[in-house]
Amino acid sequence: MKKISVDPITRLEGHGKIEIFVDDDNKVQNVYFQIPELRGFERFCVGRPVEELARITPRICGVCPEAHHMAATKAIDAVFGVEVAPTGRLLRELLYNTFYVTDHTTHFYILAGPDFIMGPQSDPAARNILGVIGKVGLETAGAMIKLRAEAAEVISMIGGKQIHPVCGLPGGVSQAITAEQRDRIVEVTAAQIEFAKFTLQLFDDVVLANNDYVELIKSDAFTHETYYMGMVDENNKVNFYDGQIRVVGPDGVELEKFAGKDYLDHIAEHVEPYSYLVYPYLKSVGWKGFTDGKDSGVYRASPLSRLNAADGMATPLAQAEYERFYSTLGGKPVHATLATHWARLVELLYAAERAHELATDPEIINPDVRNIPTGIVGEGVGVVEAPRGTLYHHYKTDDKGIVTNVNLIVGTTNNNAAISMSLKKAAEGILTGGKDISEGSLNMIEMAFRAYDPCFGCATHTLPGDMPLQVTVKREATREVITSVKRNM
Amino acid sequence: MTLGATLVLGMGNPILSDDGVGLLVAERLRGTSLPHGVEVLQSEVGGLRLLELVRGFTRVIIIDALKSSDEVARQPGEIVRYEAKDFKGGHRYGSAHSIGLGTVLELGDRLGYDMPADVTVFAIEAVDVETFGEELSPPVAAAAERVLGMIAAELAAAADAA
Repeated sequence: MKKISVDPITRLEGHGKIEIFVDDDNKVQNVYFQIPELRGFERFCVGRPVEELARITPRICGVCPEAHHMAATKAIDAVFGVEVAPTGRLLRELLYNTFYVTDHTTHFYILAGPDFIMGPQSDPAARNILGVIGKVGLETAGAMIKLRAEAAEVISMIGGKQIHPVCGLPGGVSQAITAEQRDRIVEVTAAQIEFAKFTLQLFDDVVLANNDYVELIKSDAFTHETYYMGMVDENNKVNFYDGQIRVVGPDGVELEKFAGKDYLDHIAEHVEPYSYLVYPYLKSVGWKGFTDGKDSGVYRASPLSRLNAADGMATPLAQAEYERFYSTLGGKPVHATLATHWARLVELLYAAERAHELATDPEIINPDVRNIPTGIVGEGVGVVEAPRGTLYHHYKTDDKGIVTNVNLIVGTTNNNAAISMSLKKAAEGILTGGKDISEGSLNMIEMAFRAYDPCFGCATHTLPGDMPLQVTVKREATREVITSVKRNM
Repeated sequence: MTLGATLVLGMGNPILSDDGVGLLVAERLRGTSLPHGVEVLQSEVGGLRLLELVRGFTRVIIIDALKSSDEVARQPGEIVRYEAKDFKGGHRYGSAHSIGLGTVLELGDRLGYDMPADVTVFAIEAVDVETFGEELSPPVAAAAERVLGMIAAELAAAADAA
């Protein structure tokens, strides 16, 4: 048996690793996806006042600190059994949707963009943000950077601090916004709606107008028929901040809908000896291995999953785009992993529209933003939809609010089994040749991985500024290196 | 921020053991008397967010933790000095985490921003950046002292030259 290793090394040891094992006939036998473990998180949290977790948990990740802050804040509301002040809730959701705008935009231009705008088979030296700029023009890149800066301005206005918000307190937020700040947010969010529309148009022009890409998206190598999880509001529309968790089957029929606090009744965890990271699955269906279909409890939680799990979007422009998404791709649910990129842009438009809607709500400048807790429950679950999947925070405390137990399920963990399956299927579909493994074919396998935008929950920056990639093909018995491809090393 | 100014930027994660070294050095540096035109900041994030931080400065000095591969075999606490030219543009992204410094600098140039002409990185070889904790390992704590001295000397030399 030979081993193909796709090993992207980020700045530190915090890197993911993809290992592809092939037999002597070069047939893919198995694919392993591993990510490194950060140690001692629970021990670090235990013994601290629970309010601190809203400031500690965002530091697990440099990409989505806002998601952890929101999930933590909601869990802490529950620990103190306090009802959130209505304006406090509006401000949290406004901050959160603004964060979504910036996160989804960045993903499209930095991660997905290079594959589609430059082409999956293009020279890796050009397949990056700088290449994308060359194609789409400096103006678009400048607009994206401006959007990010303006979103950061809004997040720091509400969050009290850029990057790591500190506004979330049990029962609401720490400060109200002024009418002047509100006016600025209305202006910024209006511009974000326009940019989201522009980005969807770009996706149309670059991806949907190219039949090869549409075929690639719909191809079997990038398709899995799984269950889908996502948060929905009372009308079963997508919501990122609050609602119930809905799960639909591969046939699109609702399997279950539950409150976040009951997650342990619905999600169980499978363990494999080679990975410290667990494989969550649906309890009511059961673990049947790394396989898809109605009998397998493997589920996905991603932008595509959220669209599949909901009946629509709660804002008008995003709803229209939602309908076009399903009519173009052949009805609900869509199982094509690469359609996640389009789903993400539908969500981008929703996030911008929703943020604008919240900013124009007259109550948004109400100075009464917090209810002070008067008692303690001692246990709480907070759930939000993080960009990369449903995020669960579960805390237990003593009667003084000192942490005794912490459990988190993060976006990438939900998708752990599905990512392994997607990589295997893509490898089977693409590595049909054998020894000559081209740069392009490996990139196609990685595209399956990038659709999930897996988050290793560690790297906040990169040294020495690059992500080297080594691909080796080895004969299992002798460890003889048959082929080795190195990039950026 | 003023043109002609120098930014000293401590980077890292304050709750991942040695990864907090850059933040600590920046904090310590703030407590010292600095030449005119030097600003000290801390950042827990990188990628595109770095672009906004470094724009407009003439010179940037970054302090961060480094974990080299075994083949490089660096000693814990070893200080490695990089210049901007050592950073290639990032070509591969497994996730949004990994847009590199080289890419950020090139992107800023292409967009016509005032980007620093001179970027130096002091990277400190870490022992542990994967365990949650707020303490530095002894060799990294000792290296933090040495880096402080090195940066103070560089800033003083630059001030004298000006």
